[in-house]
Amino acid sequence: MAEIFGGHIAAKYMKEVEGVDTVFTLSGGHIENLLDGFNQYGVRLVDVRHEQAAAMMAHGWSIYKNKPGVCLVTAGPGFTNAVSGIANAFLDAAPLVVLCGRHPLRDDNTLALQEINQIDMVKPITKWQATCYDIARIPEYLATAFRQAVTGRPGPVFLELPPDILFVSMDEKNLVFPEKRTHRTRVLPHESELKAAAHLIDNAKKPLFIGGSGVGFSNQDDAFKQFIEKIGFPFALLNNGRGALPDSHALCMNDGGFTAVAAVAPQADVIIAAGIRFSWVMQATKLFPQAKVIRIDIDPAELDNMRTSQVGLAGDCGDIFERLTPLVKKADHSPWIETVKNAYQAMLVTETEQKNTVSDPILPLRLTQQIMTEIGTDAYYISDGGDTSYYGMTGFMSDHRAGVLAPAGSLLGCLGTGIPFAMAAKLANPGKPVILLHGDGSFGMNCMEFDTMVRHNIPVVCVINNDCAWGMIKHSQEMSIGHDRCTCSELELRHYEKIVEELGGYGEFVKKDDDIIPAIKRAVDSGKPACINVITDPTVVSPATAMFYQNLSDF
Amino acid sequence: MKFTLLLFGLAQLLKIASHLNKAFKHAVRKAQVRILITTRDRERARLFTFDRGKVSSCGGFHNDYDAALVFKNAGIGFKVLTSSKADASFNAAADGGLCIRGMSFYAKWFQDVTQLIR
Ligand SMILES: Cc1ncc(C[n+]2csc(CCOP(=O)(O)OP(=O)(O)O)c2C)c(N)n1
Repeated sequence: MAEIFGGHIAAKYMKEVEGVDTVFTLSGGHIENLLDGFNQYGVRLVDVRHEQAAAMMAHGWSIYKNKPGVCLVTAGPGFTNAVSGIANAFLDAAPLVVLCGRHPLRDDNTLALQEINQIDMVKPITKWQATCYDIARIPEYLATAFRQAVTGRPGPVFLELPPDILFVSMDEKNLVFPEKRTHRTRVLPHESELKAAAHLIDNAKKPLFIGGSGVGFSNQDDAFKQFIEKIGFPFALLNNGRGALPDSHALCMNDGGFTAVAAVAPQADVIIAAGIRFSWVMQATKLFPQAKVIRIDIDPAELDNMRTSQVGLAGDCGDIFERLTPLVKKADHSPWIETVKNAYQAMLVTETEQKNTVSDPILPLRLTQQIMTEIGTDAYYISDGGDTSYYGMTGFMSDHRAGVLAPAGSLLGCLGTGIPFAMAAKLANPGKPVILLHGDGSFGMNCMEFDTMVRHNIPVVCVINNDCAWGMIKHSQEMSIGHDRCTCSELELRHYEKIVEELGGYGEFVKKDDDIIPAIKRAVDSGKPACINVITDPTVVSPATAMFYQNLSDF
Repeated sequence: MKFTLLLFGLAQLLKIASHLNKAFKHAVRKAQVRILITTRDRERARLFTFDRGKVSSCGGFHNDYDAALVFKNAGIGFKVLTSSKADASFNAAADGGLCIRGMSFYAKWFQDVTQLIR
């Protein structure tokens, strides 16, 4: 009779049935047996320095690998530390599987170590949450968790595994793993609605396509390519949909960032909004009140949310592109595309000049341009910070899916996501450069993860856009309460690169424009996790701050 | 000349609106924004300053703006600013008749608030 521990059952199931090869974690007594199980079954464990980073890395992993990301945290404080990462994944609709320790079932209501009601806390920020009470049912619970994470709109799920089931064993021959099925059943729109959409598309004169994370998660880039190239709409890919086609695609407007979307959307007569929710950023009712809108979303309830759509198509974006492609006429909107591109470029004159002009003090957009000059588009870019997220989003271009992300710019607006996302990007794409542009404020939130990078050999190059301030907040305080009353938004000059050096990475300090490129070269050549601390002009304000301020000032 | 007069007239209208027009007053009450409207040769220009509900303006070219609407020439400027078409600025930008310097976000804000006095 071969006995197997609960923790080992969980690891074996995830490895063999769900194909999990990497788990992001931080250790704890309550989860010891599961950690041991992962070792036993050859699952790579990336152990971080704060559970927030584990959840955020798993979130990033889910985007770069297009499959659920798994994190494992211990009971009590391990859980509470992970909450920001879970909430972020929830608002970002990312398939995150959170495995969590728990105080023993046996000790309920005894003031046991780390006893706290985790399930109730996590309810509003997960799609599904459960506690497994029976060792024999561990595989079934895990199967449900993985299914729930990806079915319909993806999202985080939460499974508590108490020591009463992880630390005990059962006869392995009584163990049954549920079969992993891929069902061909799909949510699909009615034929008449597909035809109605095709009719609108064929008659559009000034069209626009806006794609969001749903285009990315659909993972059918070819279907998207065929569809968009047939209808000839200019397109912007936002959030985690960015890079489903390269930023350099002839129809792509991503070189104009959100300025391009904001300039073109009010002029458009037909807008396809695919896999994107109409959040505060989209301002759907204000930005394009006149356009006829075709909305594509995995969730039928989303189709008329925030703005009634002329045609609503429920289903996976890729499936819908596939069905629409034969129904639409091949179209060429070249004159409109030229108009669009000229118009938004005319609105970005200053930004373009800033990128191409040597600056002293260094301007953030100049910094992004110098990074691009050295690294190019065959790379993954991440940015984190307030203004810095904007500079990354507009300054970087990539050939790759999710090649340019600013996770702090997503709905939770959570600073500190950059380092975990960059680590996930590098682990998922070890052969490509991964560049992280970081605000100096937000750098402090997860900078101990440079230790994780060193221990696990994850050579990310982090460039700090150092304005010695919580820039976005400082600038919006300047606008609201005045320059002389800025509160809790100033920082001081710190040699963050030295922290990284001390942790075993590579560090450089840069103040001059000419030194940016050589420093980046040396950082890449070092082969180590690197930090280039670049002092930039503290007075520049990004449009993201103006928009952020306007959003909060209308009271 | 027509363009210069138009900018002067616009300044007066904005000032009056900042006292009398409820919607306009609400929209500008917290704004601290400087908008320059100019021809490319900088010969004809006016700076509009919004300072927490007060609107003032000053003729001539100024460098300290948040956003500048730079028209290729006065004729185009006049046509765009007096057009009733919503896409006039967009089309002028596409045709090379207009470019935005500084932050286009503020130029859009300016266009939105001037709509309130039409
Ligand atoms: C976790 C978290 N804490 C606080 C904030 C509020 N916040 C938004 S932007 C910002 C400033 C960010 O400063 P920095 O990282 O230096 O980037 P910068 O704006 O200077 O580019 C702050 C504190 C937040 N969004 N997330």
